[in-house]
Amino acid sequence: MGKESGLKERYSRQMLFAPIGEEGQRKLLESTVCIIGMGALGTVLANHMVRSGVGRVRMVDRDYVEPSNLQRQMLFDEADAAEALPKVVAARNKLQRINSEIELEAVFTDVTPANVLELIQDVDLVLDGTDNFQTRFLLNDACFSKRVPFVYGGAVSSRGMSAVFIPGVTPCLRCFIQSADAGGQTCDTVGVISPIVDIVASYQAVEALKYLSGAAEARRDSLLTLDIWHNQYYAMKLGKPREACPCCGLKQYPALREEEATLLSLCGRDSIQISGHEPFDLALWHQRLSPAVRNTKVNDYLLRATLPEGERLVLFADGRLLVQGTDDPARAKTLVARYIGS
Amino acid sequence: MELIINGSKRELQLESRTLAEVIDKLGLSGKPVVAEVDGEVLVAEQWPAFAVMPGMKIELVHFVGGG
Repeated sequence: MGKESGLKERYSRQMLFAPIGEEGQRKLLESTVCIIGMGALGTVLANHMVRSGVGRVRMVDRDYVEPSNLQRQMLFDEADAAEALPKVVAARNKLQRINSEIELEAVFTDVTPANVLELIQDVDLVLDGTDNFQTRFLLNDACFSKRVPFVYGGAVSSRGMSAVFIPGVTPCLRCFIQSADAGGQTCDTVGVISPIVDIVASYQAVEALKYLSGAAEARRDSLLTLDIWHNQYYAMKLGKPREACPCCGLKQYPALREEEATLLSLCGRDSIQISGHEPFDLALWHQRLSPAVRNTKVNDYLLRATLPEGERLVLFADGRLLVQGTDDPARAKTLVARYIGS
Repeated sequence: MELIINGSKRELQLESRTLAEVIDKLGLSGKPVVAEVDGEVLVAEQWPAFAVMPGMKIELVHFVGGG
């Protein structure tokens, strides 16, 4: 079977859907998306993009697979968690088997003001799979400064939300909210059920398909909010960009100007991330730490160990450090100083 | 004052009768919330100057951060 007929077979049901058709499918195959965050939303988004035939999919995430992810992060399995594989690597491995025609880029990194513009360069659309407002504001500002559409999605508990933000056409996230205070409502504090994740990410995915296949007129022009346990649904009209918005009106893009925090508390997760260290030689650190620590796990990307004090230390090859089991930055610094030095 | 908030009737004791006070009474000040009153979208900086009237329909949309 030739490539062309193979493609026709693979995407036949999607091409029969008249609003996409053969032309829309061709546009999808020529498109590039960037998915930031490869957790619950991100895995559903990537699954849709790759199966639908979006030609190039860049996935960015800083985290690795853990057993508590498996309830809802649909591309991962028990072997990925046992191996403590980076989520982007585990996702790429799975997606390659689903659609080998797609160019997949797995970027294992933290998204920061220093790298965000490079990460969204040359992409047609950015899909939001992040789990915090700080990164969302950064993505929002980066996308609006480079005029790249940004499809917001969020899910926690049984509640979810989604909106399509198009620079120069619709408002952006900052037109609606300024506060990044989630009020303690994160997936790690109040939980989340998997159907809301699939629903929100699917709302995001369909908007991506509309935009990338050339059906801009079909865009949903509302901020959708729903609670699938309590049976509530509300669609608020997006309206116009706000003149006083730091992005749309004032073109300031505040998050791009922020200094990168070296110490970051991962909200609600009982973890502190510390960045700014030189890259780690993981094999060397494995040797050094082994006498003092237990339950070590090392792979090409990270070294994880349980400290005698009870906390877990994770060293990433790129120089990041994670202290799990505390939300106290001072405690995290103390432990890092004790085992890694400064 | 009786208001209709997210589709339900609520009785709130208000002094300044502004949208900012309503949102404060509901414990949502400082949170990522946007309001819609009779089809008009109102962001946080507009709440202190917006007077609420009895029976007004107010939708409060609380942005969801997880994912």
